[in-house]
Amino acid sequence: MADHNPDGDPTPRTLLRRVLDTADPRTPRRPRSARAGAQRALLETASSRRLSGQTKMIAKGRSRGARSIGRSAHVQARGHLEEQTPRTLLKNILLTAPESSILMPESVVKPVPAPQVVQPSRRESSRGSLELQLPELEPSTTLAPGLLAPGRRKQRLRLSMFQQGVDQGLPLSQEPQGNADASSLTSSLNLTFATPLQPQSVQRPGLARRPPARRAVDVGAFLRDLRDTSLAPPNIVLEDTQPFSQPTVGSPNVYHSLPCTPHTGAEDAEQAAGRRTQSSGPGLQNNSPGKPAQFLAGEAEEVDAFALGFLSTSSGVSGEDEVEPLHNGVEEAEKKMEEEGVSVSEMEATGAQGPSRAEEPEGHTQVTEAEGSQGTAEAEGPGASSGDEDASSRAASPESASSTPESLQAGRHHQFPEPAPPPGAAVLSSEPTEPLLVRRPPRPRTTGPRPRQDPHKAGLSHYVKLFSFFAKMPMERKALEMVEKCLDKYFQHLCDDLEVFAAHAGRKTVKPEDLELLMRRQGLVTDQVSLHVLVERHLPLEYRQLLIPCAYSGNSVFPA
Amino acid sequence: MALSTIVSQKKQIKRKAPRGFLKRVFKRRKPQLRLEKSGDLLVHLNCLLFVHRLAEESRTNACESKCRVINKEHVLAAAKVILKKSRG
Repeated sequence: MADHNPDGDPTPRTLLRRVLDTADPRTPRRPRSARAGAQRALLETASSRRLSGQTKMIAKGRSRGARSIGRSAHVQARGHLEEQTPRTLLKNILLTAPESSILMPESVVKPVPAPQVVQPSRRESSRGSLELQLPELEPSTTLAPGLLAPGRRKQRLRLSMFQQGVDQGLPLSQEPQGNADASSLTSSLNLTFATPLQPQSVQRPGLARRPPARRAVDVGAFLRDLRDTSLAPPNIVLEDTQPFSQPTVGSPNVYHSLPCTPHTGAEDAEQAAGRRTQSSGPGLQNNSPGKPAQFLAGEAEEVDAFALGFLSTSSGVSGEDEVEPLHNGVEEAEKKMEEEGVSVSEMEATGAQGPSRAEEPEGHTQVTEAEGSQGTAEAEGPGASSGDEDASSRAASPESASSTPESLQAGRHHQFPEPAPPPGAAVLSSEPTEPLLVRRPPRPRTTGPRPRQDPHKAGLSHYVKLFSFFAKMPMERKALEMVEKCLDKYFQHLCDDLEVFAAHAGRKTVKPEDLELLMRRQGLVTDQVSLHVLVERHLPLEYRQLLIPCAYSGNSVFPA
Repeated sequence: MALSTIVSQKKQIKRKAPRGFLKRVFKRRKPQLRLEKSGDLLVHLNCLLFVHRLAEESRTNACESKCRVINKEHVLAAAKVILKKSRG
């Protein structure tokens, strides 16, 4: 067998064998594997002789993938002390038999990875290149031929480098100094060293990837995107995704946490602006105690005062005092201007000088958004908080910022139709006092029913939509208003009845039993139809779980 | 929680209960009373059924008057009946 090879044509196989023999002393495992590899090579050649006839046919039929797999199998067979299956042998034959340009360098390269193969692939992976690892591991069919081919080409280059390095004795390797192979190999694998180390536990080198290059200015783009996306449907987002009024107060607080990180960001969306100011303004807390006391009325005059104060704030700290009374003013106007001011102040805070222009359109968009979302406490919340921040930050802000907000404010004033509703005041007051999620109980409003209606109507609209859905027929607007009135009346009756029932039971808390009694009296719950049936019919799963006691494992019943 | 379901009417109906809204309404009207945890879900169920009945009644009225569109009068008449029923 052995005679066949060297005596015969100088196949790549023979070359490989020679290299393997020379590469023996590098690792402790190597000689063993080299010997094994040599034996394998012998066997392979022997088998190749036998299967030469077949290989040609097969080689033509096979795709490059098989070839690549075969290559890897070939090398792997050399390196690992594994059984030689006919499959691996065949693959080796495939590798060696066709004399293609791709294969030639492959064979040359193989001696390089061959010694590597001996070493634990894990170690190799950390040091070695991705491509070199490929031949080591199992001939996984997942390996794309495309991957291997370019890898091989790269290895071609590296081989020359490697040789140079070997000659010059480059001490390139950092980690694998312990291994002579590693050092020599790593010298050729400068590429891999440059890249971050592959994870030690890479099982499939084909899947290993370079960590993506980190971009420096992510935050700016992110915030810009935020702003852009938040521009279009802010109201819808606010209203639809948060049908409850409570979370609306919380949401601005949630937003507040965000911008703490992107301080470097140049621009922000309006909410981001409000958030930032919160983060930047410890003065917020200072202002907040003053604010609630002053919250009550404030209208257009304060808006004007606010504008003036804005102008004067540029001069110095005195602006703070001026700002305080301003905060009492119209929430809407305030908040919008505050938003502008916030954006401006943020600009200053971040030190960005350029985006003043950008701030303006931002502010405009903010205004439009804020106007659109007047009714929602959310808009007021961020506006209020941003306003507070504004005051604190404005005190320190340079004059240039004030000029832009001035112009913006002038425009804003015209846009503001009315003073903000008192619920906004309540929200504003609640916001500064506790930036975290704490909702103040709604105060008795002095100003008109507007604040009362909007969130109320927002909640009712949910049921109105359900009405139109149940009706399955087109409806007039007036009919929908009629439905709203009916719902109002219905809620009145409902609360009264529940009160009566609770009092009848001697309780001050309305319990589900009272509700069941009510439904029974309404004729919804009968002896045939129980409450649970109705619950199952009409409520979604999550609510059902909360309402109907169900037995769970561990001898526990939830919820009761 | 509950997601909106897509209806043949091309409208997305939210199945979520506006628990905050309900609690607030109840608190406003009866500040001395307290509502239990899952109580507002049952209130929501009650509202759903009420609205359902109202819609059915309005639809019936509209169909009886042979209108393709539900009118104010239909709703009004329906409300009278249903509110009386829901008196408890």
